[in-house]
Amino acid sequence: MLTAIIIFVGLALVFGLLLGYAAIRFKVEGNPMTEQIDKVLPQTQCGQCTFPGCKPYAEALAKGETEVNLCIPGGNDVMLLIAEITGLEPKALDESVAVEKPKETAFIDEDVCIGCVLCIKACPVDAIIGATKLMHTVIQSECTGCDKCAPVCPVDCIDMRPEKVSLENWQWPEPKPSMESTPLASQYLVTEKTQ
Amino acid sequence: MSAHSPFIQSVVQGVAAIYPMARRWLHRFHGGVYPAHHKALSLQHPIKEAVIPETLTLPLKLMAGQKVEWLVKVGDEVQKNQCLAQAAKNNKKGWIVPIHAPTSGIIQAITQAEFPHPSGLTTQAIIITPDAQNRELKNALNVSGQPPTSPQQLKDILLHAGIVGLGGAGFPTFAKIPAQQHQINTLIINGAECEPFITCDDVLMQTQAEQIIQGAVIVAEALGVKQIYCGIESNKPLAIQAMKIAASKVTNQSLSIETLEAVYPMGGEKQIILELTGIEIPVKTHAIDSGVLVFNVATFHAIFNAVIHGKPLTQRLITVAGFGLADSYNTYALLGTPFITLANAGGPKAPIHYPLIMGGPMMGFEVAHNDVPVMKTTNCILVNPPEPKAFTMPCIRCGECMDACPVNLLPQQLYWHAQAHEFEKVEKLNVFDCIECGCCSYVCPSHIPLVQYYRHAKSEIKIQHAEQQAAELAKQRYEFRLARIEREKQEREARLKAKKEAVKKQKPASDSSDVKKPSAAAAAARAAAAKRAAANKKSSTSVTNNANAATPPSARQKAIEAAQKQAAAKVGSKVATAKDPRDSAKKLAKKSAAMAAAKRRAEAKKTTEATPTDAIIQTNESSHQVDVTNDNAKEDAKNKRQKAMEAAKKRAAERKARQSQQETPK
Repeated sequence: MLTAIIIFVGLALVFGLLLGYAAIRFKVEGNPMTEQIDKVLPQTQCGQCTFPGCKPYAEALAKGETEVNLCIPGGNDVMLLIAEITGLEPKALDESVAVEKPKETAFIDEDVCIGCVLCIKACPVDAIIGATKLMHTVIQSECTGCDKCAPVCPVDCIDMRPEKVSLENWQWPEPKPSMESTPLASQYLVTEKTQ
Repeated sequence: MSAHSPFIQSVVQGVAAIYPMARRWLHRFHGGVYPAHHKALSLQHPIKEAVIPETLTLPLKLMAGQKVEWLVKVGDEVQKNQCLAQAAKNNKKGWIVPIHAPTSGIIQAITQAEFPHPSGLTTQAIIITPDAQNRELKNALNVSGQPPTSPQQLKDILLHAGIVGLGGAGFPTFAKIPAQQHQINTLIINGAECEPFITCDDVLMQTQAEQIIQGAVIVAEALGVKQIYCGIESNKPLAIQAMKIAASKVTNQSLSIETLEAVYPMGGEKQIILELTGIEIPVKTHAIDSGVLVFNVATFHAIFNAVIHGKPLTQRLITVAGFGLADSYNTYALLGTPFITLANAGGPKAPIHYPLIMGGPMMGFEVAHNDVPVMKTTNCILVNPPEPKAFTMPCIRCGECMDACPVNLLPQQLYWHAQAHEFEKVEKLNVFDCIECGCCSYVCPSHIPLVQYYRHAKSEIKIQHAEQQAAELAKQRYEFRLARIEREKQEREARLKAKKEAVKKQKPASDSSDVKKPSAAAAAARAAAAKRAAANKKSSTSVTNNANAATPPSARQKAIEAAQKQAAAKVGSKVATAKDPRDSAKKLAKKSAAMAAAKRRAEAKKTTEATPTDAIIQTNESSHQVDVTNDNAKEDAKNKRQKAMEAAKKRAAERKARQSQQETPK
């Protein structure tokens, strides 16, 4: 009886100490979920989720303080991914914004620009170059299309333009399931007869 | 591997009567299909003489960021073989091969023009109006006519000749050749030409066998190759004969002409290597890594012309064939000739109002417009009238496509995931190893355009990867921006604190000396020095405070402080020397410098004061913007925009006036 108690108390102590040590030694800093969510977010830093950027939204999501359907540029796909990571219920995007937009980038009409630097201050990724009273322009490859610069422009010279189709981003169209098949491999090419 | 013995052939033919796919036993690679060749169509006539069209369009397929140097301008007169454009010296992205004038004429324009691509996109192009005189630059590449002895010499000639792989992929040939000798053991002359309808390689081998073999020998000698193979499909007996005769004249190289089974896609690079050498090229490596180099017969012909005669690549043998033509033919087409000109020269049975196909029926694509120009990679223009289309039916998982795939993929699985948009799974199933040969679509009993699905999946995956990279970049830039803003804020606070303290110290001094005295400059300088020292101290301490508040000042910090004290002392001593009456000029200069500093400070203050008003303007503007979007009428927006512009101009003018007013009292 006594030996059994001693053995179990001893075991409990050993394991308790082990667990205690592991808790200190292998402590995870911050919430790992934040990083995971941040990775699937589109990083436009547009603030349309009402948070000041993608990371803050990810943090709020990790704490379970907000909804999964606030990321508008990410659309439905990102919403589903977030729901998967957080284990929250998937929720359809707000209908008024659910329309999927093609990727757009900001474009400054350089003739109209007065060089006020307001858009430079607004850009979350430093994609606008220019200086006070000098013309500004957008580095197209860095622009995320967050649309933050357009409202602050006092002369309304910033347009959001859809990305141009070029050789690099041209896509083969997806065949529609009901579409008639292409005639390339066809009656012209019936397998030759074996001699 | 040469063709099988007649006995095995006859056995297989016998089995094939009951089991048609027994024919696949005769070649080494997996799968393959046996479409009707239709090669006789264009073999009926000898090579047709080249026509010089009314305009030649020479597109430079440039990618974003590629820089090109134009050697001609609009209105220039050019001769045949003259170089028109080449890669700029500061081009760091990709390879640009030079383009040359295919005939003599006048540069009509350098503009955007369409080129043969399924998208119908445009690219930079030179448009030439030929003068029909065909004046030629002899030896335009300025070669000695002697075979190069090192790979680098060969590469230089090939680059300047603008030679790309003429089999269809169009990869720049100079870039494919390794820079060191003896990296290549086996050189393969690809004369398989497995696509139906196309006969240009066949005709080239029949007529130019010696030049092709010479081209191969040139490459082999420059690279130190041990063995040359030439693979030709068994359905080209005349070509095999001609090549064998030409090869028998070569004595200093080990060269063998092999007859290959006529199976599609025998002409694929990895397929012909496996067939001839037994080497299977591992995934994600190139043939070069395994010591094998493959070029098409037309590429060798072009190499011969460039190295021996100094001729750049300005024309190529091309097949114009199809059931829509009365006389299908082969011709040396000038690069830049419109497709429709060549098609019409074949005597169309009915006016061509359907899209032409570039390439063969298996891998080719319909061009968006029929007036696109012949490119270096255009080996065939297919003129087949549209046929009745078969309806796509659901996949029945018969596995035919899997048996036909020459690269051992699982086409039905790829299709399954591709149509469900599960692109990660498609990528895991190695969709990027797909050579888009079209065997799976060809055998599919449900007429599913499988290759279309894979092409779409490939481009979708590429775009997804690009987006991920862009997101990563945006994240980095955003985080950097936050860090910068934080740093600037701290620096500003530190500066402000330093200034306040300086003002406190300055007060008693200014109280005692209300009138300008000779020592005022010295006092100001002292104060400035003290301020500077304080600022340094403050910034360094604030940084360390943030980093580790509990620790006492480190040795490094102490050293910094000591240095600052020393510096202050030095400044003080300098001021003392400045007091010397002899240096009155120096004193004056210092005075003016102090004045300037004060002015600058005042200006800085002004701008910080101005920011709140800017913020107000900003909010006004944003509310104004909301109004615009609410209105939703474009004309209204336009009016408002003009008004906004005017307002902005007015504001700018006001600001200017204010500034000038403030500046004048000073």
